[in-house]
Amino acid sequence: MKWVYPIAKGLFEPNRENTPGENLFFKLFELFILFYTVKFSFEWAHYTQFRNAEVVLPLGIANYIDVSIFFDNYLSFLIALAILVIAIVAFFRKGPKWLYMVAMLLFHLLYVIRFSQGEIPHSQNLIGLSLLCFAIGLIWYPDKRTMPRFIIGSILFFIGLGYTSAFVAKLIGTGIHWFDGRHLWLWISEKSIDILSREGVYHPNFLQSLALNSVGIASLILLIGWFTEFIGFTLWWHKLRPFTTTLLIAMHIGITLTMNIRFDAFVIQLILIGYPWYKILDIYFKETPAWVARTL
Amino acid sequence: MKHAELKSGMKIIGIILLVFAGTVATHEGEFWPFSIYPMFSQAGNPWTRAMVLDVTYHDSEEIWEIHSLNERSAAVISLRNLGVDQIDFSNFVSKTEHWSESRKNALSTMFSNDFPDGSRWMIVKVRGELVQEDSVIVQIQPLLLLSDGEVMSNPLLDNSHYFIEEE
Repeated sequence: MKWVYPIAKGLFEPNRENTPGENLFFKLFELFILFYTVKFSFEWAHYTQFRNAEVVLPLGIANYIDVSIFFDNYLSFLIALAILVIAIVAFFRKGPKWLYMVAMLLFHLLYVIRFSQGEIPHSQNLIGLSLLCFAIGLIWYPDKRTMPRFIIGSILFFIGLGYTSAFVAKLIGTGIHWFDGRHLWLWISEKSIDILSREGVYHPNFLQSLALNSVGIASLILLIGWFTEFIGFTLWWHKLRPFTTTLLIAMHIGITLTMNIRFDAFVIQLILIGYPWYKILDIYFKETPAWVARTL
Repeated sequence: MKHAELKSGMKIIGIILLVFAGTVATHEGEFWPFSIYPMFSQAGNPWTRAMVLDVTYHDSEEIWEIHSLNERSAAVISLRNLGVDQIDFSNFVSKTEHWSESRKNALSTMFSNDFPDGSRWMIVKVRGELVQEDSVIVQIQPLLLLSDGEVMSNPLLDNSHYFIEEE
């Protein structure tokens, strides 16, 4: 399994010394993940309580249990509240080390309850995946000292894999002509109906007008986006990571402008994890803050 | 980080990867937060979405006619203002194959808190497809009328539009 070693080296940077900046960044990143976990939980609970009516599309564990029992009596809010309490306790490393895993299972349950109405959104996937990596790292990774490096590395592994797998899904689903600009015309028209339905009005923006007026420009937009997805796996190597991250962020801005699909948490997480922010923190922190050292 | 830690790190990732592959392979590519991200993988296919049109002051005969998006005269009801997720709504309408009474009631309940007295709201399917290799046409098909707590089907459409048989 020699081929795994360069990937492991790229993800975990074994020769880099642990620094105060890295430790502080890790706890701030954990806080970011928990903030979005709790935010999404309460948003989903609220929508479920007041809008969910029937299970239209069972996802995940909803294939095996009837999640409509959570639609009423504020049960979804109870789950969200449990996630909030667990997040606070686990962040300070109080209680057993499997607390994040419980939070993850509840988070999955709440997702399949809320999104049982037909929509399969992906903008919250990175937050869910990160919480899972935290849960697994805390339980199974043997060395507490190097655990932050493992958690961040494993998140990067799955982000890279996700983008490249999206590239492959398009290649298998459509073929090499996926980037034909007329496909973008169809998607722009489809998304324009979503915006019209949401807002009551819709006007194409500059980039959409440009793509709709030229099949060549529309094709070029798709080709650049598709290529960027393909190189997603290069996030695994720390030297290439900042460049790939920049391209991925640009791709997400392009998706927002052409198809009106926003991935706020996704993009913020990419910005956080794709660049070596610890280097800046190391300028200001010569020692790991006491509360960080206690709660790593 | 020592060599042994690198090894155990990759071993754990490998195990997660196996769980990832097992769950998405048996659940059509989605087992949150695992996903193969299949969105937009099938390009060029016709699409169907849904909207709500305010037909309160429109002629009762004309409201049932299929028409193109460009010919639309009824205002679109903003679902954001009603607190309804437009993607959920679209999927609810486009993926329902049997418009049973309970499904119609569920649709009616979605809007019951915000439905102004005396109003008539038309639930429409919107279909888009590529034609003649160089243009996209978008057509509006009226499906269900919400009025005075009732849900009426389009008299111009036959039953197959409301009870789709599995092939």
